[in-house]
Amino acid sequence: MKPLSKEQLAGLVESVVGTQDQELTCTECQQGISEFAERQLASQPLAEALRRVEEHLAICPECTEELLALKKILEAGK
Amino acid sequence: MQICADNFYFPERLTVTHRLGEGFARVQLRIRLAINRATVRLTCNMVAEEINWPEALRAADNAGAVTELRATLLNGLRAAFAGRGDVSDAHLEDFTQDALVKILARLDQFSGRSQFTTWAHAIAVNVAFTELRRKRWRDVSLDQFTEDGQRFAVAVTADAVPGGNEDSDRLVRALRKAVAEKLSNKQRAAIAGSLDGLPFDQIVALLGTNRNAAHKLVHDARRALKAALAAEGITAETIRTTFAS
Repeated sequence: MKPLSKEQLAGLVESVVGTQDQELTCTECQQGISEFAERQLASQPLAEALRRVEEHLAICPECTEELLALKKILEAGK
Repeated sequence: MQICADNFYFPERLTVTHRLGEGFARVQLRIRLAINRATVRLTCNMVAEEINWPEALRAADNAGAVTELRATLLNGLRAAFAGRGDVSDAHLEDFTQDALVKILARLDQFSGRSQFTTWAHAIAVNVAFTELRRKRWRDVSLDQFTEDGQRFAVAVTADAVPGGNEDSDRLVRALRKAVAEKLSNKQRAAIAGSLDGLPFDQIVALLGTNRNAAHKLVHDARRALKAALAAEGITAETIRTTFAS
């Protein structure tokens, strides 16, 4: 393994300090991601359940990548 | 569209399914029949409504809805992956078909908290990325995965911390110590793999476990690192200030 880059180390410490006792899994995040995307694009407030989706997205690059793709689709369909 | 009226009977409300351009909508015809002496007046209003997708897809004759959903998903994936040379239209067609199968199997899981098509697009996107990540990382060996985990602690160096001051040195020392002392070999390998961009599904496979167990393993590892840093007096605020500089 090569020495961590600044971005990798920043990602690691961010995910460590952002660790919550209860967190969603990727599968649980997927269940709320469509509502999250719609609300974010409409600049609507997030309910508590969607706050947890937001917390998961902050530490999960894969779910974030999928959210960005989903938002691209929704924006293209406007 | 033809309305037969042999007995001159019209229902008050007639609903037909009709394709409207690119969309798939249910058109409701609201018919009013007014008879005034010898004059018969028929008023017909067309009201386009968004289709009830779950109902249409569950119907015995769901071929039209399935075809429409397939086209919708494919258009969505084309928009999402536009400009990516490594993803062909044939790939997108395959992802669409796989997504369609999953969506039809999961109709009961649609809660209605978003548009149905948004929910379906999210599944299609997940199917596509899962497959692309699997192909990209399929050649990672268990040996490499394990070795990266063993070298994880020494991969944390002061070079990656901005500032080069006392705080950043302290952070690096504490993190290296915590990685070396507080994590198991599997936890080190999983986090190191994740930092290298290894997809979670691949990490699960290399660990020889399931997604829930792997999630718990990584979550426990992050909690252990957080506690170890806190014990050294390194808080989230310290870290964010360090990396913001």
